[in-house]
Amino acid sequence: MSTQEQEPTSHLQSDRTRRLTVASHWIVILLAIPLWWSVTNIERLSLPRSRVARIANKQLRSTINILVDEGDLRRDLEAEFEVRAQNFPQLGNHLDLRFISEQINPASSEVTYRVNLAKDPQESQVTLGDRSISFPAGNKPQEALVPQIAETLQALLLPPSTSAQELRVIQYAPRYRLAFTLLNEDASVGGAIMGWEIASAINRYLSSSLERLHVLHNFTIESQVQFHAPLAFDPDTADNGKEYVLDQERLKTFVNSAEWTLASSVSNDPVLHFVLFIPSAARRPLRIVQENGAPSKSNAFIVPQWGGIIIHNPPDHDHLNQYLTAPDLSAIFTTFRTQLLALLGVPQFPANVVDTGEGISSWNLDAMLRRRAAENTKGSLEALGSIVKLVDRIKGMPIKNDVKGDFIEALEELDQVYSSAVESPEAALLHSSRAHTLSSRAFFNPGMLAMLYFPAEHTYAVYTPLFAPAAVPLFVAIVREFKDWKKRRQDKTKKE
Amino acid sequence: MVAVEWCFRLTSVALLHGLLRAASAAPVLEEEFYENLKLTPLPDGRLLTRFDFKTLLRDAAPRAPHTLAEEDEPQHYNLFPLALGQLLREHAVTELHLTLNAGQWNYAAWGQPEDSGVATGAELWAWMGESRAISVKDRWKGITNGLAGLFCATLGGLDVRRTVSPSVAFQPEGDIPSSTPHHLLYAPLPSESVCTENLTPFLKLLPCKSRSGVASLLNPHRLFDADWHGMGVHVTWEEGLGVMVRMNFVAVYNPTRLMGLQNKRDWSFRLLFDRSITRACPVATRSAIHVALPSEGNFRLEPTAHSNLGNIAIFDVSKVQEPLELSMKWPDESEFDHTSFAPSLSPPLTVRRVLTGAGQSQGALAVSLSNTNTETMRVAWVETMPWFIKFYLHTLEATIKGERRNDLVKLVTYAPTSSSSQAPTLLESHVTIPGNTTLRLTIDLEKSFISYTQHPPAAQRGWDLPGGIIAFTSHSSHRGEKEKELREQRIYTPILLVDLPTPDFSMPYNVIIMTSTLVTLLFGTIFNMLTRKFVWIKLHE
Repeated sequence: MSTQEQEPTSHLQSDRTRRLTVASHWIVILLAIPLWWSVTNIERLSLPRSRVARIANKQLRSTINILVDEGDLRRDLEAEFEVRAQNFPQLGNHLDLRFISEQINPASSEVTYRVNLAKDPQESQVTLGDRSISFPAGNKPQEALVPQIAETLQALLLPPSTSAQELRVIQYAPRYRLAFTLLNEDASVGGAIMGWEIASAINRYLSSSLERLHVLHNFTIESQVQFHAPLAFDPDTADNGKEYVLDQERLKTFVNSAEWTLASSVSNDPVLHFVLFIPSAARRPLRIVQENGAPSKSNAFIVPQWGGIIIHNPPDHDHLNQYLTAPDLSAIFTTFRTQLLALLGVPQFPANVVDTGEGISSWNLDAMLRRRAAENTKGSLEALGSIVKLVDRIKGMPIKNDVKGDFIEALEELDQVYSSAVESPEAALLHSSRAHTLSSRAFFNPGMLAMLYFPAEHTYAVYTPLFAPAAVPLFVAIVREFKDWKKRRQDKTKKE
Repeated sequence: MVAVEWCFRLTSVALLHGLLRAASAAPVLEEEFYENLKLTPLPDGRLLTRFDFKTLLRDAAPRAPHTLAEEDEPQHYNLFPLALGQLLREHAVTELHLTLNAGQWNYAAWGQPEDSGVATGAELWAWMGESRAISVKDRWKGITNGLAGLFCATLGGLDVRRTVSPSVAFQPEGDIPSSTPHHLLYAPLPSESVCTENLTPFLKLLPCKSRSGVASLLNPHRLFDADWHGMGVHVTWEEGLGVMVRMNFVAVYNPTRLMGLQNKRDWSFRLLFDRSITRACPVATRSAIHVALPSEGNFRLEPTAHSNLGNIAIFDVSKVQEPLELSMKWPDESEFDHTSFAPSLSPPLTVRRVLTGAGQSQGALAVSLSNTNTETMRVAWVETMPWFIKFYLHTLEATIKGERRNDLVKLVTYAPTSSSSQAPTLLESHVTIPGNTTLRLTIDLEKSFISYTQHPPAAQRGWDLPGGIIAFTSHSSHRGEKEKELREQRIYTPILLVDLPTPDFSMPYNVIIMTSTLVTLLFGTIFNMLTRKFVWIKLHE
């Protein structure tokens, strides 16, 4: 370069060595980047999202055998239901009806209903039995009966429900706590109910229903009595001045959770509350009125997904305290039972059917099993879909093995729901319930939140003091080498 | 006292029977509720008020631990608090004691409290039977979390780092079923403070809440103004009787302060609670107010008591027709003389306990026990310390007037801590104190250097250490019933505050910056050396 320059004394000073030194630094850094990336990266395992979509597109179908002895009737019904399946997509999408003449395989667990025609001319009502139904044949020709039979069967197999009814049904859980509470608004002014024969009342009026519901739910029962349970508001006086009334608006704020200690602290099972409210002797009788101001027929109401309340005005015995024995509780517990069935979503029978089993028969239990399984499946799929969506949207969300495990297990349970629904509604419900639990557990996994509170910016902030000053000489070196190389090329061309 | 209670029980039961006969079909009384308020003027001008609420579940038994794997029977309660009952059943608890107190009980001026549990902060101990289904430790976790939720207290902190199983000082107060082996678990939480948020759920467990009966006096605004206040929940089982829940609230008022400029010890319900009893609790089997009458001095108690027993005036709240408003006056006193009170209640044993040593890592615990009796006294001394305090057992030394008397201390248990398990230290020993002497016990300790993440917020404040416990194991001159009473008495020393080595909490960032700078400096220098061209320069002269 210049005359002042001498050749370097050591081989370390050669251009080649210097270039190798710079290059090796850069090679190490470039090689280290993937390693650094993998150790600081958030663990995001891949989720089988295509399986979710595949299951979500499938229809949950249950097979139902309908056994009809009369050949003509069977053919007519089959034809009738083919037409109905097109008119009612619900029916066609979810139920596979097979009309058969005799039990194919008595050992199989498939659901088989028997349809009978009662030849007895005295018989005039539709009666339900255990997975059987009997229609009065009367003297009418069979063709006239078919639409009526089909209508009733459809109502039993796929009970219609209004949105108001659906809204009050509590979410499915394998176990509920039934909390019965006797609330005296103010016992100290007298005329209060000091106790009730709750255990024997439950035995007499409720336990048979609870046993029948056993295929769907288990129940834990508890009860308490409170002597001071004030309302959050003062009830209005009726126009005649003798009664106190609650209008529909008041019913919405009737439950005074601040003062009534109804909460249970020992388990996570959902609670259904059944409250017998005794108004204070100074505010009796207390009645519910309808929107138009007319007194309501019943003094009981349901708080959707929470429980049932009965307002009980005991007969006045000179302000003496009373005790409710099991016979006294008969009407109250019949109402509680009706409320319980409504809250659990037990479908009502069609109007023309005579019910012999306290509102619960194998027909509506089966319908409930199918509906709950469908609900759980839908809920589970929604939760899985939400996880996928969430993970796509938030890049910093970790997915660890436990979430993935729950996710896959939920999918497997869902597969089993579809395969078992054909045969056994109980098994389908069990699997759907498990799928729902697993998918919610995956959705609420606290591990998925971890990185949200430690964003990547923090990492950069901590490491900048190291990386920025170290990077400067590296870049300067490479720029210098580049300039050097350019200059030498220019020199070369000049020489030429 | 016992006779009075019986007399009341009989009359009220008869009364209740009369009432019930008037109503239809009298039911069997399975649950009973008793409420009582006791007011005791103290010699130092203060007033001790003690609310007692007892609910008896007659003929009930605690859940047998071996049934924990099975489904429990339905729970039906009339008076018994359901929320508490559920918790007891869920975890098969035989006996449970929870106290939440604020302030230090002044043994010298106020005497031995009726209930020994006056430890500052929270204290929980429970007896539970062994079960194969769920271990005692797991159930303890459930209980602490359940009670934390029930009473809005930070009892969830009573985990393995706080829990010990002492063998002396905590004897069951009720009966323990002999069929299953039982374990005691005990945990103190000295930093817990008691306030309205604890009282509100407490009141909700009472059958009459705070709306009628004696409980209507429980006005949080006034109760938490008292010099000392505390609440307790005690669950015991007595064979042949049933499961009993005792809930109490104790407050030590200072009427001379409440009276303002007047400086008198006169008190009234209006002054103390700003309330009066207007209605009786309809479900109380017995509802009474007891006023302990001072043995001397000219005082006037209004209104007149319904009955008197010895020096106790008794008011039956269920008989009250008009608002009950008690007041007590000392008409002759124009001003309470604080200097006049003689230490008549001075206890037979006084305890002082201090932490000595100035450093942040070493220290010593010194306990001095003064026996004011002439007789020799045998007590149990229990110390439980969090895991970051390490005792050096070989330095345990007992001295009387500077003379070594290690023969007076007999060690029962020493469970040292380990930083891996973080279990607390437990030191239990029997101590003999000769009459009219002061025994001084010292033990050296080491304060651990704990990780910066383990420090609580406001770490500079230091850590609260639980108070020491002195329990009367036996008393030589007493026998039988009296002895049992004495054995159950415990004295709690004041809690201590320890200063642990506290780091600078911005340290991690400083370390990162410092290390980064050094590494970069080093790297830059070496890299420049390696890539720089060193050439000879000939200097032309």
